[in-house]
Amino acid sequence: MLTIKNLHAEIDNKSILKGVDLEVKPGEMHAIMGRNGSGKSTLSNVITGRDNYLITNGNIHLENESIVDWTPEKRSLEGIFMSFQYPVVIPGVNNTYFLKAALNAKRKYLGQKELDAAGFLKVIKEKLNELDMDPKFLQRPVNQGFSGGEKKRNEILQMLTLEPKLAILDETDSGLDIDALKIIAEGVNRYRNSKRSFLVITHYQRLLKYIQPDFIHVLIDGKIVKSGGKELALELEEKGYNWLDS
Amino acid sequence: MKVENFQSEFEKVLNKTNFSKKFKPIQEKAFHQFLDTGLPSKKWEDWRFTKLNKFSKTLYKVSETEHSQITDFNFSKHHISDVSTLTFFNGHYKKEFSDHIPEIEIIDGLIDSKHKEEISSPTDSPFELLNTAFMDSSFNIFTKKNQILEKPIRFLIVSSSEDKLMVSPNINIKLEENSELTLIEHHVGESSNFFINTSTHAQLLDNSKLRHIRIQSNSDSTINFSNIDVNQNQNSQYDFFQFASGPELSRLNIHTKLNGQGAECSLNGLSLSSSSQQLGAHIITNHFSPNCISKQNFKNILQDKSSGIFNGKTIVNIDAQKTDSKQSNKNLLLSKDAIMNSNPQLEIYADDVKCSHGSTTGSLDEEALFYLRSRGLSLDRARNLLVRGFATELFDIIKHESTKSFISDRFENWLKNNAS
Repeated sequence: MLTIKNLHAEIDNKSILKGVDLEVKPGEMHAIMGRNGSGKSTLSNVITGRDNYLITNGNIHLENESIVDWTPEKRSLEGIFMSFQYPVVIPGVNNTYFLKAALNAKRKYLGQKELDAAGFLKVIKEKLNELDMDPKFLQRPVNQGFSGGEKKRNEILQMLTLEPKLAILDETDSGLDIDALKIIAEGVNRYRNSKRSFLVITHYQRLLKYIQPDFIHVLIDGKIVKSGGKELALELEEKGYNWLDS
Repeated sequence: MKVENFQSEFEKVLNKTNFSKKFKPIQEKAFHQFLDTGLPSKKWEDWRFTKLNKFSKTLYKVSETEHSQITDFNFSKHHISDVSTLTFFNGHYKKEFSDHIPEIEIIDGLIDSKHKEEISSPTDSPFELLNTAFMDSSFNIFTKKNQILEKPIRFLIVSSSEDKLMVSPNINIKLEENSELTLIEHHVGESSNFFINTSTHAQLLDNSKLRHIRIQSNSDSTINFSNIDVNQNQNSQYDFFQFASGPELSRLNIHTKLNGQGAECSLNGLSLSSSSQQLGAHIITNHFSPNCISKQNFKNILQDKSSGIFNGKTIVNIDAQKTDSKQSNKNLLLSKDAIMNSNPQLEIYADDVKCSHGSTTGSLDEEALFYLRSRGLSLDRARNLLVRGFATELFDIIKHESTKSFISDRFENWLKNNAS
């Protein structure tokens, strides 16, 4: 699904990723863990195509196609989704309008018929239920006046609506209380199947209690220094990251 | 036009036979005052940013009866449903293109006004003086007590001439106690070179309510100045909204005076400019009495080399305790070459008041653009959505549905041509 080879990236002439290799197969969930500043968020931003990052070496493939020259919208339409660490407030743009526009952009891209208002509402109501979200959410401007938990739920709502092949969850657990965390984890778990892949980015193992990854990688100073199974999370919680510093 | 060029045109005004003689002293007085005051220069604080070069260079003529022939003007393009329309073509009232509204007194050529004494004396602003001196038609609306006019009244003010014309409409409104009115001033026209200078005087008696909507979409080579002066008695309400996508140069001057307790005014505007247009708003809200509420909310969206001005001032005089006042100016620059001059000011002399003001000017939020694109929306679509999000909250102020949808259609049109 996702193949990253020898990825080097910088921002403002500062080198952040210094040779990342990663292979995520269909149906797998990988977690990237690491301290603040280790390059975790840069990795997700580079995969989703944020402008100000420069790839200086290496490559990223989605199902055997290099994506590094694709626009962010093309990446999204091809099936990459990121749940933002800090979802952006968009004043004046109604959530329903936004979700419908996004879903229809995707349907159009896939050659499917665009949904009308009624068709869209049917799709979205079901997803709202799954996430225990009040339909009133839809009438509000995107993320405006949302609590931290509501914003994160809105991200997962978008994921369920757009049905990506590869979902990146960037610090999805930050700012969530335990109840919200459980609801989101259940939503994500239900979405897992043998074809969909996940990249979970976090610096606590808290989320990983509820969403169990197949693999965990530790990122330190722009490189993956250790990989292992889910038991690695417990080891990290116990020992911290210092024992991995070279 | 220089001050000395106005003399010969003013003589034409005095010689007009369809003008009632009783207005002549008022007009002459205003003209002499105008000669004394002169035209504004860059040294006048409030005129520092207004680009008057074109006005200074052009020789305008007063609009004569022969300029009122309608040949091939497309009225349907400007149709708004569910309003009563009065049409003014190059400054002249056109009965055949107007609805009959018994509540309104129309004076074309200022013949026989029952309300001569109601025509307010101008302030010392040069363009108000000029309006009084040159006023060529006057529309007077005087409601009765408790009269509620449900259907909005629209003045369709058309400028359509090959000649360089100067038109000075004069609007007088007096709302008696407990009466209500919605007035739409709709400025249109494709003329090559036109100067329209409107004065509006409104007097709102106790508990009356005036909703005033201006739609300004004159051609790119028109200059449109508007001088609005509002006096508000107790518990009266003045709601103003301007939607401007034209002309080349415009200057909206509003002065509202909250004279009676509990009066409220809400002044709002959305200006959309491109090429080298300059759209300006110069707003003064003057609180004289306690417990009044005022709001100024103006937004500009600027493309290309266009510029905008917001000069907003709220004055809270010493007796105006418990004033609640908000002032906001937000501007969106869609081009590196666009310029916004924003100057929100508060002058407070009372000590128990709640006042806020703020101004922001910036380009589209990169974070928001990326967020939308990461959900599969193209860059153009994302831009479009953000610009629309910036503007549309203002449309909710318009309560009249067909006017609201007319304005949002115009907005979408502008977006299509300018923001993608």
